Amino acid sequence: MEKTAVRNCLKRTALCLAAAVVLAACGGEDGEDLNLVASREDVGRMVILFSPMEKTEPNAENVARNAADKTIAMAEEKLGVTVGYNTYTAENYQDKTYDDVAIDRIRNDMDDIYLMNPDVIQAMGEEGKLRDLSGLACAENLRDVVRTANTVDGKLVAIPQEVVAYGLFINKDMFDRYSLELPETPEEFLECCRVFKENGIETPVGANRWWLETFVMAQAYADLYNGENTEAEIAALNSGESRYSDYLRPGFEFLREMMDCGYIDAEKACVSEAIEGEGEDFLAQKIPIVMAYWGAANTETAYGKTDFNMLVIGFPSSRGQMPVMPMTGFGVGVNAEHGEDAMAVLDVILSDEALRVYAETNRVISPSKNVEVECVPALKPLNDRIQDNVYVLGANAGMKMEQWGNICLVVRQLLGGATVDECMAEIDRLQQESLAK
Amino acid sequence: MRVKEKKNRGGTNKGFPLLFSIIIVFAVLGTVVFSVARKTTREMSEAAVQNLNESLDLIQCTIEAILNKEAEFQKLMALEIARWENPEEYVRSYRKNQTMVKISLVLAGETEGISSTGEIFTEEGMDFSSGWTVDGLEMSSSYLNYMGTWAYSLKCPVIKDDREIGMLYVEYTFDSLDRSLPNGFYDNRAMLYIMDARTERFVLKPKGMGERSAGHINLADYYRANDILEEDLRAEVAECVQNGKNLMFYHDIRGNSALNYMWTVNGGSLFLTGYVPVEAIQQEGKTVNQNIFIVVTVMLIAFFLCCMLYYFNQRQQNKVRREREAERELHSKQLAEALHAAQLASNSKTMFLSNMSHDIRTPMNAVLGFTTLLARDADNPDKVREYTRKITASGQHLLSLINDVLDVSKIESGKVVLNLEEFTLGDLVSSVDAIIRPMAAAKSQHFQVEVKDIRHEYLIGDETRINQILINLLSNAVKYTPEGGHIWFRIIGLGQRASQFEHIRIDVEDDGYGMTQEYLKTIFDAFTRAENSTTNKVQGTGLGMAITKNIVELMGGTIQVSSEVNKGSLFRVELEFRIPEGQTDKLFREKSGISRILAVIGNMQDRDTVRTLINDMGITVDIVDGGEEAARVLRDGGSRGDCQMVLMDWDDPNTGGVSAVEEIRKVLPRTVPVLLMTALGGDSRDSMEEALKLECTGVLEKPFFLSALKDKVTEIRAEAAGNSQEPESAGAEGLEGLHFLAAEDNDINAEILTEILTLEGASCVIAGNGQLVLERFEQSDEGEFDAILMDVQMPVMNGYDATRAIRALEREDAARIPIIAMTANAFAEDEREALSAGMDVHLAKPIDIDMLKRVVRQYVRKEGKQRFDS
Repeated sequence: MEKTAVRNCLKRTALCLAAAVVLAACGGEDGEDLNLVASREDVGRMVILFSPMEKTEPNAENVARNAADKTIAMAEEKLGVTVGYNTYTAENYQDKTYDDVAIDRIRNDMDDIYLMNPDVIQAMGEEGKLRDLSGLACAENLRDVVRTANTVDGKLVAIPQEVVAYGLFINKDMFDRYSLELPETPEEFLECCRVFKENGIETPVGANRWWLETFVMAQAYADLYNGENTEAEIAALNSGESRYSDYLRPGFEFLREMMDCGYIDAEKACVSEAIEGEGEDFLAQKIPIVMAYWGAANTETAYGKTDFNMLVIGFPSSRGQMPVMPMTGFGVGVNAEHGEDAMAVLDVILSDEALRVYAETNRVISPSKNVEVECVPALKPLNDRIQDNVYVLGANAGMKMEQWGNICLVVRQLLGGATVDECMAEIDRLQQESLAK
Repeated sequence: MRVKEKKNRGGTNKGFPLLFSIIIVFAVLGTVVFSVARKTTREMSEAAVQNLNESLDLIQCTIEAILNKEAEFQKLMALEIARWENPEEYVRSYRKNQTMVKISLVLAGETEGISSTGEIFTEEGMDFSSGWTVDGLEMSSSYLNYMGTWAYSLKCPVIKDDREIGMLYVEYTFDSLDRSLPNGFYDNRAMLYIMDARTERFVLKPKGMGERSAGHINLADYYRANDILEEDLRAEVAECVQNGKNLMFYHDIRGNSALNYMWTVNGGSLFLTGYVPVEAIQQEGKTVNQNIFIVVTVMLIAFFLCCMLYYFNQRQQNKVRREREAERELHSKQLAEALHAAQLASNSKTMFLSNMSHDIRTPMNAVLGFTTLLARDADNPDKVREYTRKITASGQHLLSLINDVLDVSKIESGKVVLNLEEFTLGDLVSSVDAIIRPMAAAKSQHFQVEVKDIRHEYLIGDETRINQILINLLSNAVKYTPEGGHIWFRIIGLGQRASQFEHIRIDVEDDGYGMTQEYLKTIFDAFTRAENSTTNKVQGTGLGMAITKNIVELMGGTIQVSSEVNKGSLFRVELEFRIPEGQTDKLFREKSGISRILAVIGNMQDRDTVRTLINDMGITVDIVDGGEEAARVLRDGGSRGDCQMVLMDWDDPNTGGVSAVEEIRKVLPRTVPVLLMTALGGDSRDSMEEALKLECTGVLEKPFFLSALKDKVTEIRAEAAGNSQEPESAGAEGLEGLHFLAAEDNDINAEILTEILTLEGASCVIAGNGQLVLERFEQSDEGEFDAILMDVQMPVMNGYDATRAIRALEREDAARIPIIAMTANAFAEDEREALSAGMDVHLAKPIDIDMLKRVVRQYVRKEGKQRFDS
């Protein structure tokens, strides 16, 4: 009985194998076609996006990039367009900056969609090089602060995928080691730096040529944005009645003192790109403090993976820890070759659905008032302040003098050796220049 | 067998070459497939490299063609400018297109010129130092132009009248090259950058070329991002860039095998840099690999199938071999067991014969020895009597041995049939007591009989066999209990399991030698005896307990034994007997006229027994403690005093003894019997002599049984009525004057019979077989013979046939003459057959003269009475 069963089983297996061999032999014999040219789909409608590209590292995940790519893929799928990327990243400080290149490209209609920093948004908006996005469906969901920051001459010229908030990234373990409280005011911050330095940390604050201005802005505009007379004060600045230099001076003096005390390596900062210059030392716990944007706490290419307890707090100010929120954003060139498609792409990638995907992937503050996601623990102190509506804007299109780019450039002058008075004079000049437009 | 084994070995060995052949075949096939696969892979790899070479060549040529065309056009433009009166006017009027985004002119002898975009132009900021040219025109290094994109410039002298009047600079964007390149490269999976050789900066990433999310700044960034860090490789790359050489190498990109390349364009001023995933470049490779995989898989499956076939074949063969071996082993085992059993049987037989020899020779020795002594001392009557007594004892033992052996044999062969008849426990106990008590008394042992809780005295069972059980157990108790020991014989009524059955437990206990635990395990086996110095003195066949157990089990009962050396033994038998229907106990009341009995019993247990049994007869029993109370009750009259019998426990000292009996007797009418109950063989028998002299007073032996009571009552009343039978005269007890016809074929037996009968005053005629008996009877006168003693096994005609023939004779006495079977066929069925043949009674040989006398007296007297009556 058993013998027969085994024999039958073997017979069946042999038959199956024979059938499989025959099928394998006959497989792949498609019907012959006279025209052997492979049908190839045309590229079809194309939309070109200009954006920076961070230098990539092997085996490191760029969460922000992934999040953006997901939304782009949504647009491609929904609209049937292909989004091509043009990218630029300065190789070093001697190269043209991304903002410079972005401006050139916008002016020469090189691309359709541009990812811009606040100063570029304001400049290009003022030049009329960007389309008004207020008609997009996605614009209706924007938080007021976002809309305000990106409205130039009554036009909504850019919409971000995330509200960028800058803060101080601190190594809490090192603070604890020296029994230091997290600093609230500039004085406390200086005291912390003093203690660190006394304990052998030569330059407690890691800096680059871009983001030191956040210290200045936090101190300068803490009262302006968190006081009662914000609009009146801005109006006074726009009319020339008030001087930006009066606001900015304490911050510059603070930076000067930091440099003089050796808490910042000005020379190194001058030639350092964002994160590249100071990131390595921070991750290696050689320095306890750096400044960076919100998303840096989420991505492995920045500070998303540390061996120590990291916290992100606001910059020291008279009103305590102060987040600084400049606005980046996507804009569409006014003469974009594929302008309509570009607008449609923006409407998708900035929709609530896409912004939710983006925010959940990147764990950032969404510009849409309809999208809320929980931040990573490290960002909680910063997030708490923002949730309490305590922050200063790093860019405000409502101010005639562009803030983010100009102050950055003046801070570089300070780093380059200029005095605070000289810097204030430059600020006054810039204010005059903006008032003259 | 050896041939078979050889064959099996041959079958096993045949499998290995087969397996070896399969392995060789598949090894060869595997090698071939491996070689083919390897060759295919190598060729595919070469084809891939070739394919990529050609693709890159194509792109290179395209770009170089564009560059050359740009240069040619620029030369034409320079010629055109030369024709213009105001060359700068030409420049100002130029409108940029997608390729030439800016033209500038610097007139000869000047350092600044103008641009088509309107601003002042200087060569400063442009790097023509590398010496690269396109179609003879110098080519600058790449730079970010005013449009924010990577560009290069060619400079072309403007010649007019063979004189260089200026230098024309035309700015080209790398973006313009993109329009001439294919949309996608290896199905958009290949990565392609155009790299400026001098700065190693990536100046163009054509659309559709590689991963969209990857954007690399320069060669160093590209290699770092893709983990291409090997020093030798980097050096090779540097050399290629330096010398304008092409380079292609395999290196994994993000975990996927890829073919990386550095491909020169325009003599090394530009490089095509990037990679193509091997999967993309060898799309057919996947199919080929799949096919190879399928082939290898099929081969492996085929191989495993072959192995399985081989395995199953081997397993089948092994199974058959194992089965054969198991069968052989089983046979060997069976043979060994049979041999062992035969040896055991032989040993048993030897042992049995040895035991029998011993057990038979022992009494036989006594018989022969005393016979010799008898011959010598024939003149000495005392010695003759002593010798004959001992010879008789030995003969009796020999007989019991033979009976036991035959019993065992019959029981074991299942031929024993129980002869179920009604019997009374009282008779049973009495008969056993009659046998055992003298034996116990001879050894000064205390033999105690107890009966309690018995509800029914009349039962149905094989009394003979029950008797045999009890005699066996009790005689053993006597044998194995030293002098002065105690033996208890108890019959206890247990709770009835069914109303038709009496459940009885029989305990036989002694405080004798006891038995070891080892011996207890074999006590019920045949031919076993406790072998020790004490018991060896005791004679026995060793079959008694085996017979006992078999009979008990045959009756559906159980037997258990517990014993301890030097402390005694307890045998416990449980049996169930059917209770006969329609007992005649109740008739006793009517017949005897006894409806009320006064019992004088102190012992509570005895009271219960008496009350239970008597009440069962429908007779009222009043029980009092002592004689005085009994006398008072009788004097007072009333219902209690109106009794027709008094039972008095004589063994209870509180009952009052003789005086109490006298008191009672005075009160009672003379016809009312007084029965004194005393234990069998009790010592108090002598003390009651006085009481027994009183009128209508008798003894009732304990334990109390109704049957005994009834008999006693009948006896006393008969005595009182003066009807007591005269004791039989000695003559009546003997055989004197009787004349027998005896059938006996054995001369010695015939002589013995003749002698015995002669000694008893009788005579006989011997006939040698049944036929002769028949003839002799036919010839005899009626009444000539008082009885016929019929042997059974005889030549010519056996006893049964002879009996039938005699009974069939047409003579008046043929039917009624007593025919007594005297045969060595001693079994119950022999007896049944004898009776069915027409014989009156069955006597087993050897002749027991007393038994013969009793039987003859019974039947011949009966015959005589009949004759008298008639």
